[in-house]
Amino acid sequence: MSRAEENTGWKVGVCLAVFCIAAFVLPWIGPDSLSWRDTFRSGSLDFYIFLQLRVTRTLLALFAGGALSLGGTLFQAVLRDALATPYTLGVSTGASLGAVTTISFGWRVIWGMPGIWIGALVGAFTVLFLVMAVAATRRRVSAFGLLLTGIAVNSVCSALILLLYSLVGVSRSFSISRWLIGSVDATGFRPVGVFAAIVVATAIFVIAQARSWNLASVDEQWAASRGVAVRSLLVNGYVSGSVLTAGAIALTGPIGFVGLIVPHMVRARLSSDHRILMPCAFLLGGVLLASCDALGRVILSPAEVPAGVILALLGGPYLVWLVRERL
Amino acid sequence: MNVLLKVRNLSFRYPTHTVFSDLSFDACTGEFIALMGANGAGKSTLLDTIAGLRRATSGTVAFDGKSVSDWSANDLAREVSHLPQSIRADLPFSVEQLVLMGRYPHSETWFDSAADRTAARAAMERTSCWEHRSRRFFTLSGGERQRVLLAACLAQDAKVCLFDEPSVFLDVDQQLRCFDLLAEEARDGKLCIAVTHDLNHALSYCSRLWVLADQKLVVDRAIDDARQTPDWLELFSKRLQLGQTPDGKPWIWYR
Repeated sequence: MSRAEENTGWKVGVCLAVFCIAAFVLPWIGPDSLSWRDTFRSGSLDFYIFLQLRVTRTLLALFAGGALSLGGTLFQAVLRDALATPYTLGVSTGASLGAVTTISFGWRVIWGMPGIWIGALVGAFTVLFLVMAVAATRRRVSAFGLLLTGIAVNSVCSALILLLYSLVGVSRSFSISRWLIGSVDATGFRPVGVFAAIVVATAIFVIAQARSWNLASVDEQWAASRGVAVRSLLVNGYVSGSVLTAGAIALTGPIGFVGLIVPHMVRARLSSDHRILMPCAFLLGGVLLASCDALGRVILSPAEVPAGVILALLGGPYLVWLVRERL
Repeated sequence: MNVLLKVRNLSFRYPTHTVFSDLSFDACTGEFIALMGANGAGKSTLLDTIAGLRRATSGTVAFDGKSVSDWSANDLAREVSHLPQSIRADLPFSVEQLVLMGRYPHSETWFDSAADRTAARAAMERTSCWEHRSRRFFTLSGGERQRVLLAACLAQDAKVCLFDEPSVFLDVDQQLRCFDLLAEEARDGKLCIAVTHDLNHALSYCSRLWVLADQKLVVDRAIDDARQTPDWLELFSKRLQLGQTPDGKPWIWYR
């Protein structure tokens, strides 16, 4: 085994171990302490709280955090901009507009599923196709075209969110504000399972192209002259990043910050090589969001602090410290 | 010598102006061609178009008889390497990681193979950047960065090497080493085309001279002919004179 392979192996291995430990430990953290014996007794209240509420919630946070973090890493490589996040290309705002629309019109259930999920997915994919259609004019997709179109779509979606917010009544405007903060709520095993399967499949697809992303993150011409099919890579990256982002936002609300802070942390502490960066960002992004969610459950107990708030409060200063340290 | 590169009626136009039009030429294995011209003459655009990085307005570029548009991205990268004029200086990659990127078209696995690492090491040693292999790219000086990019091109081991100002930012000794290296590549049977503004390097190291001016390839001569009839110097400046060094090498000086 080469030095590079060993390097990748142990770094990804440690992150995977941390991810697994988080999956086992974090469900035990909450406002009510659970009895070890009752937790494993089927039919008890502790069994219900642990399995149906805490475990599903932790798994959702782990995979949503991973999806948002990998999505951020991907968008940073697509745009060759370290400040890119799932928000930059409009997908996140499109998902938010879709969700806010369903809240504004009171569409609680669509096609047998929570209206917010469907709204967020429809919003995200509408923006995805809109941005692709505009950016792909003249049969050429470039990072610059994606960025400009994404910024334009972003501002239109943000304006429409504000418009809806100002038109609806007090209770719905509160629901909109609450959703826009971003939080992880308990969901059933079935939606979490479907979501996790989509996220893992997309992550494997993305990470398999990590070597090409190394070259694309340098320069489009640099990558093309070394044999990377840049156009299809950019399209794959944008679509994959959008799938990851849309799925996560549909279930948790817009917690975009995880997509900025975790890739920076991994770059600074572990490696810039996308073969290490991508899997580690995915695993640690999940751990960070799940940890923030667990902290939010106990920090002001019995009240709950949304994971998005904890993440911004802890992540903001950390990012500033990281940047100062590197300058 | 085999014809490696065939260009026919090649034109590149922006909506507002024409960069070059109707260029036709061949180039063979073992040639080291200096592509020269004033600023804005279209040298880099021509190099990029030959490399398939820009789409020509009209005309064809073919390597080994196959049109550049018919090559797959990976196969084309095995055939042609390209050193860009500039690249972002703030890259977080290490020198070794960047040079290994040159091996991308040769690797079929997710990790770099032993052959990739050997080729990358040889390229770094040839360009004197092996000792910097663990340093991050953004910590290097302009000249050191240029040598790393050159090493990545050499590691690519393509039959056609296109260099856009390969000696820019290099100190005098490194400039000479750089042109020594490119001449060595040509002697090994590769076709090297280098954009350069250094007339002395062109006359001392290259085997053929191209000068791009007024949207055309106005000079296409063997270097020996270019030395015999230096009328083309006027294309650069009327103050230039061609002389000789004491050991008989061509030397261009200005009045």
